[in-house]
Amino acid sequence: MNDETTNGARYAGTRVPRVEDPRLLTGHGTYVDDVARPGTLHACFVRSPLARASIGSVDASEALALEGVHAVFTAEDLNPGVHEQWYTLIGRDVPDTPRPQLAEGEVRFVGDPVALVVADDRYIAEDAAELVVVDYEPLPPVVDYATARDSGELVHADYPRNIACELAGLPVEDFPVFEEAAFTVRETIRQQAYAAVPIETRGIVAEWSAVTGEMAIWASTQSPHEMRLFCARLLGIDEHRVRVVMRDTGGGFGQKVLPMREEICIMLASLKVPGPLKWIEDRRENLLSAGQARHEHADARIAFDADGTMLATAIDYVQDVGAYPIPAPMNTCAVVGILFPGPYRVPQGTFATTGVFSNTVGRTAYRGPWQFESVAREVLLDIAAREMGMDPAELRRRNLLRRDEFPYTNHNGMPYSDVTPLDTFEQALEMLDYEAFRAEQARARTEGRFLGVGTCTYVEPTTDSLSLHATEGATIRIEPSGKVNVYVGGGSSGNSLETTVVQLTADALGVDIADVNTVQGDTAVTPFGGGTGGSRSGSMTAGAVEVTASILRERIAEIAAHRLEVSVDDVEVAGGQAAVRGKPETGIPLAEIASIAYFQPETLPPGVPPGLEASGRYRAQSPVIWANATHLCTCEVDVETGAVKLLRFIVSEDCGPMINPSVVEGQIAGGAVQGIGGALYEHLAYDEDGNPVSTTFMDYLLPTATEVPVIEYGHVETPGPGPGGYKGVGEGGAIGAPPAVVNAVADALAPFGVKITRLPVTPESIVALVRAARVREEAAG
Amino acid sequence: MKPAPFTYHAPRDAAETVGLLAELGEEAKLIAGGQSLVPMLALRLAVFDHLVDLRHVAGLRGIERRGDAVWIGAATTQAEIGRSEQVARDVPLLSRATPLIGHFQIRNRGTIGGSVAHADAAAEYPAIALTLDARLETLSPRGSRTLPAAGFFTGMWSTGLAEDELLTGITFPVRAPRSGFAVEEFARRSGDFALAGAAVAVELDGDAQIRRCAIGLFGLGPVPLRAVAAEAALAGRGTDSVSAEEVGSTAVAELRSVPADLHGSADYRRHVGAVMVARAWRRAVKEAGDA
Repeated sequence: MNDETTNGARYAGTRVPRVEDPRLLTGHGTYVDDVARPGTLHACFVRSPLARASIGSVDASEALALEGVHAVFTAEDLNPGVHEQWYTLIGRDVPDTPRPQLAEGEVRFVGDPVALVVADDRYIAEDAAELVVVDYEPLPPVVDYATARDSGELVHADYPRNIACELAGLPVEDFPVFEEAAFTVRETIRQQAYAAVPIETRGIVAEWSAVTGEMAIWASTQSPHEMRLFCARLLGIDEHRVRVVMRDTGGGFGQKVLPMREEICIMLASLKVPGPLKWIEDRRENLLSAGQARHEHADARIAFDADGTMLATAIDYVQDVGAYPIPAPMNTCAVVGILFPGPYRVPQGTFATTGVFSNTVGRTAYRGPWQFESVAREVLLDIAAREMGMDPAELRRRNLLRRDEFPYTNHNGMPYSDVTPLDTFEQALEMLDYEAFRAEQARARTEGRFLGVGTCTYVEPTTDSLSLHATEGATIRIEPSGKVNVYVGGGSSGNSLETTVVQLTADALGVDIADVNTVQGDTAVTPFGGGTGGSRSGSMTAGAVEVTASILRERIAEIAAHRLEVSVDDVEVAGGQAAVRGKPETGIPLAEIASIAYFQPETLPPGVPPGLEASGRYRAQSPVIWANATHLCTCEVDVETGAVKLLRFIVSEDCGPMINPSVVEGQIAGGAVQGIGGALYEHLAYDEDGNPVSTTFMDYLLPTATEVPVIEYGHVETPGPGPGGYKGVGEGGAIGAPPAVVNAVADALAPFGVKITRLPVTPESIVALVRAARVREEAAG
Repeated sequence: MKPAPFTYHAPRDAAETVGLLAELGEEAKLIAGGQSLVPMLALRLAVFDHLVDLRHVAGLRGIERRGDAVWIGAATTQAEIGRSEQVARDVPLLSRATPLIGHFQIRNRGTIGGSVAHADAAAEYPAIALTLDARLETLSPRGSRTLPAAGFFTGMWSTGLAEDELLTGITFPVRAPRSGFAVEEFARRSGDFALAGAAVAVELDGDAQIRRCAIGLFGLGPVPLRAVAAEAALAGRGTDSVSAEEVGSTAVAELRSVPADLHGSADYRRHVGAVMVARAWRRAVKEAGDA
């Protein structure tokens, strides 16, 4: 697209250094806690220490007596302030699961917010929170979602059997192929709860002015415009009087797509306090109350013929949605089932999917929320390969869809297009030199060392076009000096959206990148936009910039044509000027054209509006843009301690042409590291009474630089159906990494005949598997 | 994660410090590098009305050879110990254990006295002090005294220090000829507290017989431990007649009340403890034999 319109992109496709870096790398970012408003008051929540209890009286008298305490709010004070509570992204009329503001009547997980203390500073607020006496009557909690459907206790009285949502295709019994096939693999695969864990926790400052009726909010969010619309509805104030500002958000990964209960409480409370109200979530709160993801299991099966050709897949999937999921879980539950066949040629099959409540923290969106389809499928494929005596790479090769088979509709009716699963698979294997690795593995085994290789190949939907995500706008202002400001909704949480927007704009207007600045994340000055989420920003902002820039390019060309006395068609806009095509020496600098547009409107050609500012809005061209990748991991396992050392980690991906390869690789790396964390380290665990046991970074283990190898990248570039052919790339890393790691460990342990069906793969679990295998071997004589 | 209110004190010398401790009683807590205490305060797992900061107290820092021992001031940072050529030469086990402590940012602030007095059962320095039979020098309003490391660690995060007593320095014996040292630990990630760790010191006589040995264990009980029975059984034996695996399994056979948590059951820690002892034993014996 750029090629057609600006005579060759200068910046798109290149590794332009990030424009965010100077401020972020020198500690000059502006995160929400950096926002200092005069007279700010600070909030701290009183949280439930019990997984389930009825709430009796709340006595705040001692807390209120503490110097510096302004208020202690309970559900009675805040909850009636709600006018409407629904998300633009989801829609008003879509059935939603319960979501009180402060807990009302009953607490449903450890960390459930019961009261809100407002004080002069956070220290005093925490002192006061300890003094609030809540009278709890303990109730038996439903801790284990896997047995919750058979529990006599209900998390929410209105949901029998604790079922939040259910959806199923045909019963698996209708598919005799699973009984009749030469080989059917069937396992229950389980994944633990883990979470987004952004380095910047959640946070919000809400400043209400009763005099003007204006609300100003600074927030750590991925979607400032969603927050503005939500807040206006929540409080019953006019949308155009609510301003949401975010500059830097230190990681979101889905957790900051939608305002959650705490942010809702701060909005409600801000109307009742005499100054701006700030809440900065601390790490313990984030691990306690910002939500979990990934907690799920499935009874999954794949049928093969004698050659290893896939004949059918079926998955019966169950997801833990916790007490208060955000958003309602139906969507991801369904997508896990629908996408389970993945990028493989599978003629038939079915799925069933269920979301189940428990008295644990609610499920939230997390980078590739449907990721379990890949975990279950890819782990199962490796188990099948070993049981059939086939090399897992050969099994995949036989079944992965080839480039010429697309568009392809999977047996659940999901149409994929513009993807290259087999290409990325072969590229990853080649980058490793798969045969050489197998030889090295064989040598190592003779020395008692256990090496393994694992892969995962997936297709993922990006850039959905639903509701809030259907369009994206941009405003471009060429200033009188010729310098350019580009305004987009933003919502970057580390994904370099400023850099890519500046690159695209410089190309679209044919100006130097140093002359382009971008303003994002302030709803008062930026066009309405959906924010970051669903791997949409690349394609959608590219569309928005192009739509808008084309208006200005045309105007510039008309002004120049008039001045140069040539036809508009003979004018070329490039190199910071407009010139007669092929005669750059005739060029009129952009500054001069801007000067004409703003200050000499009487000299403009007839019909050309004054000024060089334009807004445009791009509408998604297709319901979804598919992307794909293969992750490949090698490792060495110390079978004495169970330690796993990752050796190489290779990602071959097809996100179409890349706007900025460094940004693409940064996205892949971040996601892959989160996936490695999920496979080996991270566990948001609860004990059997429903007490969380990993609420600090001592126990919630994030992978660090010492645990992660250098990630190697391969690129396949197949254009997608949108602007520039760009596809989404934000989420895939977190999808592909866990199965690749699990499969690598399982491959290393293949000589012991063990099966890994449970994540995370901890050292203890490896030692236990090896030990059990040795016991079996001895028993067998 | 904000600490409860406290009063901050910054005494200039050791006498003033212990005077403050005596005056303030159990509501006072010494703070050295703060690498364990500050998170506990922030989480309000620990609440003290008074913090007495050792940072400006004179005479608590330094590394000196004193006869057959090396004296290390209690407020000497782990990073200083890690960099010390003297420690590397004379007390190699201490030197080798140092990089295993947390991360370098932690070692830049964390002190040896803080680590030993905090007495985390999974920490490296208490176990090394125990393994090397270090001597702990203290001061209280009643005067100074020297305590052996054996018996100093009395329970989880508790020691033989009185409420008004300050650990001022630790002396480690200089290594003997024909001796070898190794420390091995297993943690979920680099820098985490050990799930199981072992320190081995072994001294051989001329015929490759074990003159004496010490096996320290950490992360395997409520306090750092010595595998006393295993050590006694090894004394006098030829190194060739001892298998490292046997040393490992003997050392952990003595263990009672091995901790368990999300990261490993007691059974697993015991198993890994045996592996760590075996690995450390092998390396220490090799070094002693090569010496």
